Amino acid sequence: MRTLLIVTVALGACLLGSRFASAAEHTIAITHMELQEIKEELRVGDVVTFVNEADMAHNIYITYEDGSVDNLDTQVPGMKRTVTLKHAGPAVIKCWIHPIIRSDIEILDKAE
Amino acid sequence: MNSPWLMLCTVSAAIAALGIAVETQFIHVGGRALSAASVVSRANAAAGIAVPDELKAKFRRPEKIPAPKANPLTPEKADLGRHLFFDTRLSKTGTVSCASCHNQAFDWGDGLQRGIGVTGVELPRRSPTLLNAAWLTALMWDGRAETLERQAVLPLTAEHEMGMTLDGAVERVKAIKGYAPLFEAAYPGEGVTTKTLLGAIASFQRTLVSNRSSFDRWIDGDDGAISDAAKRGFLLFNGEARCSKCHSTWRFTDDSFHDIGLESEDVGRGQFAPPSVTIMQHAFKTPTLRDVRMSGPYMHDGAMKTLDAVIDHYEDGGKKRPSLSPEMKAIKLTPGERSDLMAFLETLRGPPFQVDVPRLP
Repeated sequence: MRTLLIVTVALGACLLGSRFASAAEHTIAITHMELQEIKEELRVGDVVTFVNEADMAHNIYITYEDGSVDNLDTQVPGMKRTVTLKHAGPAVIKCWIHPIIRSDIEILDKAE
Repeated sequence: MNSPWLMLCTVSAAIAALGIAVETQFIHVGGRALSAASVVSRANAAAGIAVPDELKAKFRRPEKIPAPKANPLTPEKADLGRHLFFDTRLSKTGTVSCASCHNQAFDWGDGLQRGIGVTGVELPRRSPTLLNAAWLTALMWDGRAETLERQAVLPLTAEHEMGMTLDGAVERVKAIKGYAPLFEAAYPGEGVTTKTLLGAIASFQRTLVSNRSSFDRWIDGDDGAISDAAKRGFLLFNGEARCSKCHSTWRFTDDSFHDIGLESEDVGRGQFAPPSVTIMQHAFKTPTLRDVRMSGPYMHDGAMKTLDAVIDHYEDGGKKRPSLSPEMKAIKLTPGERSDLMAFLETLRGPPFQVDVPRLP
């Protein structure tokens, strides 16, 4: 019984660890009218921080495939905004203020 | 001709074939990012009108007219579009054409505070110029269209503008036999359809490009093309007056949306944004300043009659509310600086861009 409990706790810890490790963090710079290219895989649960390195305000939002939207609110120069990716599938990152800013991304399922 | 980017010579030939008076010669863009050290200050402006080359390069004209892959620009499409643009039969009453509100004699606007269409009801917003529309990344004052093809639907079918249905417009054009060869030349084998009708109008609009002005000649290296006052105005525009925060690029707009604090109930782009996006409430697209009409009117609702009133507004900083753009900060200009700014804006006006009004089939 004690052995079973230890194995269960160890397995749980491993699962928790893998889940924790899967929530990666990414940083994307906004430079003037462009978003920094995203080279890493993006997964549900990942935390993305947008850093406004431009000399003007931006207002980034992410539209998921189901039409739901994560709005990051206004970022004046130098400000950071963070979002946790919610849905797998294609998504679009845009700026409300500057429609020319656009990045199409693919969000993968959470790694288990 | 299948390339979405037509070479200058092709476009020039095409436009010449249409009888469009063109003085435009595009210059290759060699812009570089401005370094912090290049930020212009009043002190710099006063010290002999030294203008950084990096700053000037940001306003250099492009060399090609862009067009979407789905509707490459050809002379035949532009010619068909020119006919449709001037044809009042595309409106419900047969009395209003695209050219009614986008009149070349008024720099492709209408000079009115707000437009008037088939019903005679004054529209809620001012008719913007169509010049340089090929480069727009968001169309309409509220940005609800992403391409010229999609934009063309909106005034055509709006009740108080042209009041037609798309099917009705297609049927009416089909019934005019003289259009058949024009459609065949522009879209071989496709006939008169919604797609070809809108595509042709969009193509014609892409050929409406501001003529070169004295500002362009200065940017290209002719130092005497504009006055010292205009050069000081250019530096102010990019510096203390903060105009270029939004009126940037060679078109003097970055197509951005801002609430600039006008006394207006119109929520603009806010109509298409979730309520949580505060900054889009009362936000409208930044208009181009190329060929800006010195006699107004100005703003999305045409409420300001003079450029002095516009500058007064920016000096005041606009109505304070949560949606007010962070770029809106009160400025203070001396009478001399105001005069310099006006002198600079004058340099953005080239010879009028005009086309031959077609004899309609």
